[in-house]
Amino acid sequence: MLRKNTVVLILLLMLFGFALWAILPLDGQRFGREGLRLGLDLVGGVHLVYEVDYPEDATAEDKATNIDRAINTIMNRIDKYGVTEPIIQQMGADRILIQLPGFTDIDVAKSLVEQTGFLEFREVELNSEGKPVYLSDYLESAENKFIDAKEKGNRIFVGENGNPIVFLSLKDGTLHFMDAEGKPIDKETLKGEAAQAISWIPARGDTDTQLTGLFLSEAVSDIQQGATGTEAQVDITWNQEGAELFDQIAKRLYNSAVYGSPQRALGIFLDDRLISDPQILEPAYHGKAVITGNFTVQKAVELANLLNSGALPMPLKKPPLYQEKVSAILGANFIDKSAMAGVIGIILVMLFMIAYYRIPGLLASLSLIFYGALVLAIFKLWPVTLTLAGLGGFILSIGMAVDANVLIFERMKEEFRTGRTLGAAIEAGFNRAWSGIRDSNVTTFIVCAILYWLGSSIVASAPVMGFALTLFIGVAVSMFTAIVATRMLLRLFVGSNLAKKTSLFSVDQGKK
Amino acid sequence: MFDITGKRFKFFLISGLIILAGIVSLLTFGLKSGIEFSSGSILTVTFEGEVSNAQVKQEITSLGYANVIVQSTGKGEFLVRTHELSGEEKTSIEDALTRKFGVLSETEFYSVSPIVAAETAQNAVIAVVVATIGILLYVTWAFRRMPKPFHYGTCAIIALVHDALVALGVFSILGGILNWQVNLMFITGILAVIGYSVNNTVVIFDRIRENLKMGASADFETVVNNSLVETLGRSINTSLTTLIVVLALLLFVGASIQNFVVVLIIGIIAGTFSSVCIAPTLLVVWDKGEWGRFIRWFPLPRAKA
Repeated sequence: MLRKNTVVLILLLMLFGFALWAILPLDGQRFGREGLRLGLDLVGGVHLVYEVDYPEDATAEDKATNIDRAINTIMNRIDKYGVTEPIIQQMGADRILIQLPGFTDIDVAKSLVEQTGFLEFREVELNSEGKPVYLSDYLESAENKFIDAKEKGNRIFVGENGNPIVFLSLKDGTLHFMDAEGKPIDKETLKGEAAQAISWIPARGDTDTQLTGLFLSEAVSDIQQGATGTEAQVDITWNQEGAELFDQIAKRLYNSAVYGSPQRALGIFLDDRLISDPQILEPAYHGKAVITGNFTVQKAVELANLLNSGALPMPLKKPPLYQEKVSAILGANFIDKSAMAGVIGIILVMLFMIAYYRIPGLLASLSLIFYGALVLAIFKLWPVTLTLAGLGGFILSIGMAVDANVLIFERMKEEFRTGRTLGAAIEAGFNRAWSGIRDSNVTTFIVCAILYWLGSSIVASAPVMGFALTLFIGVAVSMFTAIVATRMLLRLFVGSNLAKKTSLFSVDQGKK
Repeated sequence: MFDITGKRFKFFLISGLIILAGIVSLLTFGLKSGIEFSSGSILTVTFEGEVSNAQVKQEITSLGYANVIVQSTGKGEFLVRTHELSGEEKTSIEDALTRKFGVLSETEFYSVSPIVAAETAQNAVIAVVVATIGILLYVTWAFRRMPKPFHYGTCAIIALVHDALVALGVFSILGGILNWQVNLMFITGILAVIGYSVNNTVVIFDRIRENLKMGASADFETVVNNSLVETLGRSINTSLTTLIVVLALLLFVGASIQNFVVVLIIGIIAGTFSSVCIAPTLLVVWDKGEWGRFIRWFPLPRAKA
């Protein structure tokens, strides 16, 4: 018996040493983990849940591939921002969860994620005489067909700021005028200023392929010394196919009219918004292009990032289903306070245990330290995302951790009173208390499992999931430490001289 | 030796009164639901200058948000609750406040759409129901070798519903006074309380199981009472240690999970009471077929104590 106990002692000491090594210092690197993983409510951050907007005819297979691509695209965009351990994952069939710890600008985060990022190039529609077509031409015409009947793609008319005001499409032999939200517009309301808007049609190469962001190989933001001071711009490199397409279009536009005429402009559209419409200056660009457009440096950087990460395969519905932003200022406080609550909680519980149960209480306190180290090591190495509620779960589990000890000690006292030796009372105490410890903790596990499901089901609520997980780990570890560590310590103790003073076991008080 | 089971109808009366007060409060104050269940947006802003609650409220109301709720949460800090805001609406509110009251910083922003709110509420109900059934089944299973295992499961559930009702009632009173709202963390608190309460109950049932097996006494009531007295030390000590840490949590971490912690505290106290005074004594009531006394209502404990 004693030898077996020594083996247990050595194993536990090794485990304890390992746990201490893993957690000390708390922000030290162990197995690639640096520090505890802290939830949004502690470090601040943004939590978003989006619903994707599939086209109506999308098959289940399309949906699955597209949502994967969308997640990858969003991940690429966010990568540039150096967010530590962002979470971007699918939830259910058509939702995307995004958690960005430490990133507190929710508006930037939203625009980063929400932008479809669809880059396309357009040119001005020409009538049979080679003159530009304006919205007014369509408004005045009673005919239900495009003026340039060859081009079947939709027409975009933009306002002063480049935002789209009218989309014109041809469906079932009728022209449809729609606004930016896709709602039909009455032609009459468009007469007036809007009528002067020019008609943009897709720019296509000789093979009819439209030039879009798909043919991009790289986009880099850049600062150029311009006539009016420094100007931020985005330099584009096309892939081979894109370079050919671009040159075919450039050549056609270059030869179409003199410099300065609308016919010679190339419209650069991002998500249906015209960001710039430069004049084509050369008949061939050999795979390079530049996007300018009154950018700030930051905007240019953002645009380059957006273009590099590619377009989302489908738009996301706005506003997001769930949004949450917590500033870091709130969090900083909580970490210290929770640590304090944890330490004070542990100390008070230890004092109570020692005062009430004497030596066993002291041994239980030692196991409690072991327990704390073990749980923290699991939190760090798993890693468990710690939220405020999660810390609450941990602290609550400290209180519950001693429960197994209390059960055993109370049992031990009873057994001792019935006249057993101390050693026999300890063994009987453990054996008899076991069924109660097991059954009572199973109910806690059931609740933890359900809570975890509840938390993860809709918006991946970090506090609820965190609480369920830390309480579960806490209770599981506490069973282990009470059954193994406290028992081992008590057995060791029985072998020593102090064990003769039964008053130290608070068992001589007779009836309590 | 304490006679706990003998005083059972006194305990039932105490619990009944507390729950009754809670129900009255639930009926008058109701429970205020947070945006997680009813959708909407909560914006927390901090002003550098001096601004009053009424000023903020007036400004936002004048923008067309008639139902806005403004709460002062700290020095220069306000919590603004509205219907679900779009990006533009939020910007326009912040711009208007900045124009009127000077520089502000946005510390927190939550927004929950009606779809998500409805799903969350539905899942919260499912969680509570599944947890209850799961516990009923488990307790019945754990005591399957006992005569009438279903009694144990049912009494554990009654104790658990008791604790949930007490917590709900007290929370509704606090909601009425301090404007506390029911959110997902509150449900988490209730479920944690349920788990904790059953945990205690099971320990006592376990002792009853053991004592019955040993055949200590032929009288079921005596066995239950002995088991209760034997485990009383443990019941109280465990609750104390848990209360100690939860109080530390309340005092040091405070504000943001306050509601949650208070639910836990109420639940732990109610849970300890119900595990000792309600669940096991109900076993006795059931065993003796005394349910009729509840229906005729208390001609208070007839010399039983």
